[in-house]
Amino acid sequence: MSKKTIISASNGIALRLKILAREKEAVRRKLVVTAEKLRLKAKQLAVTAREKEDVRNKLVITAEKLRLKAKQLAVTAMEKEDVRRKLVITADELKMSRKTLEKKVLERTKDLEQIKAKDEAILASIGDSLVATDKNGRILLVNKAFERLLGWKEREAQGKYLSEVIRMVDGSGTTISESERLITKAVKNRRSTTASMYYKRKDGTFFPVAITVAPIFIDNKLIGAVEVFRDITKEREIDKARSEFMSIASHQLRTPLTAIRWALSSLKRENFPEEQRKLVSIAHETSTNMAVTIRRMLMISHLEEGGREPDIAPVDLQTVLDRVSRFHDAHRQRNGLELVIHCLQDLQVRTDEQLLIEILDNLLSNAYKYTPRGGKVSVRATRENRKIRIDVADTGYGIPQEEQKRIPEKFFRASNVASPAEAGTGIGLYMVYNIARLIGGTISFVSKENKGTTFTLLFPA
Amino acid sequence: MSKHVLIAEDDTLLAEMMGKILSKNNVRVTIAYDGQEAVEEMEKKVPDLLLLDILLPVLDGFGVMKTMKEKNLACDVIVLSNLSDKVTQTKCREMQVKNYFVKNDMDDDALWPAIEKYLR
Repeated sequence: MSKKTIISASNGIALRLKILAREKEAVRRKLVVTAEKLRLKAKQLAVTAREKEDVRNKLVITAEKLRLKAKQLAVTAMEKEDVRRKLVITADELKMSRKTLEKKVLERTKDLEQIKAKDEAILASIGDSLVATDKNGRILLVNKAFERLLGWKEREAQGKYLSEVIRMVDGSGTTISESERLITKAVKNRRSTTASMYYKRKDGTFFPVAITVAPIFIDNKLIGAVEVFRDITKEREIDKARSEFMSIASHQLRTPLTAIRWALSSLKRENFPEEQRKLVSIAHETSTNMAVTIRRMLMISHLEEGGREPDIAPVDLQTVLDRVSRFHDAHRQRNGLELVIHCLQDLQVRTDEQLLIEILDNLLSNAYKYTPRGGKVSVRATRENRKIRIDVADTGYGIPQEEQKRIPEKFFRASNVASPAEAGTGIGLYMVYNIARLIGGTISFVSKENKGTTFTLLFPA
Repeated sequence: MSKHVLIAEDDTLLAEMMGKILSKNNVRVTIAYDGQEAVEEMEKKVPDLLLLDILLPVLDGFGVMKTMKEKNLACDVIVLSNLSDKVTQTKCREMQVKNYFVKNDMDDDALWPAIEKYLR
């Protein structure tokens, strides 16, 4: 090997070494860079790892929360399931109940329909005519007897006022207005009333009716009125025949009785021995009593017929009282009774004298009849407001408390005086009540057994 | 001069008793036992007062009063009847009767006081 070769060789090697060193340096630099990068990366990774750890921690917490939540939800779900089950059961029960109720409603409806049908059948079958109105007086229903009697059908009458359908007239032929109709009054006064009137049929004919009207209440609330009436033509005919019979019979009795009474009255004035005079006197009194009985029977007959109207004229009360008291003087003296009359001076009234006498005659005769020997009867006439008050008081047997209500009845006689020994028919007071009504007056009384009775007549002056 | 009363009454006993009472009181009395007879008596001589029954044979009390009006026989009339119904009484009042008595409701001695004032 030449030196040149060696040099050249060594130069080559040195170059290569230089290159190698350079390369190594480059590699080292690269490695350094890479190491730096790696360090940065490691740093980043460390940060990331920390962050991740944070997130993980958070996640762990969240997971725990979620677990709790899930647990809660599970409980809630269980509870809900419970409720649902319960609801299902309840729903089933409700379904059952509804079915039962529906069944019951059906049954009840059927029952009610039957009851209603029964009620309607009863209403329709009532023998007397019936009409019901609402509280304004419009017809709600009428029954078959109504239709038959008046010739109006229910559907024609429904919704109309009663007065539009049936004309009502009184005994004198005057038409009764809607406001004066019984049904209007029953609604207005909230109580039942009765009357006898005439109704006009659809064909224009009239017939007498006896009417009863009553208001209808539901839970104390007035909802209308119901009127029941019946044709009383037959009763009227019988009444009339009876009255005519009474009149004729009474007249036939009166004619011979007058002769007897007058003859005895004339004989009383003759100068007979004591015993005969007594007989004549008793016979005369009996004939007089009989005349009074006939007069009363006739008067009742006329009263019941409605044929007696008061005949109003000025009357001096004192004169009337004196006259009436004289009728019974003989009886009074014989029974040792005292009579006291108090009458306001110049007490003038306008009334029917005959009717007033009849009332006082009855009251006084009763007072005498039912007062034991030695008793006292007082008659007192006074003014009371615009009326005249006459009290007839006795110290007699009185009327038993439990029988006092029956005093105005015809033929009623109190049990404590009804013995055959005490003459009496029980028509006197019945008549007194009726006559008092005729003169626009009223009769009342207070009575205590074995203390006495006071009858009071109150009538317009 | 004494007053003259005509009694129209078909019951003889009553008619006589009435006559007796009036005679006692110085009244001249004529008795007619039916309505026709009463009219005839009045045609002879109109009395001062006629006591008239309503239910009379031949011609009743209303017939008598009607005839009196037709024949212009003017005289006060008092009815003495045993009818006491309102219709009869009203009808009598319409025919200008002075008074109306029910015989059965009075005694014989009540007759004179009842009619006396119509004879003054």
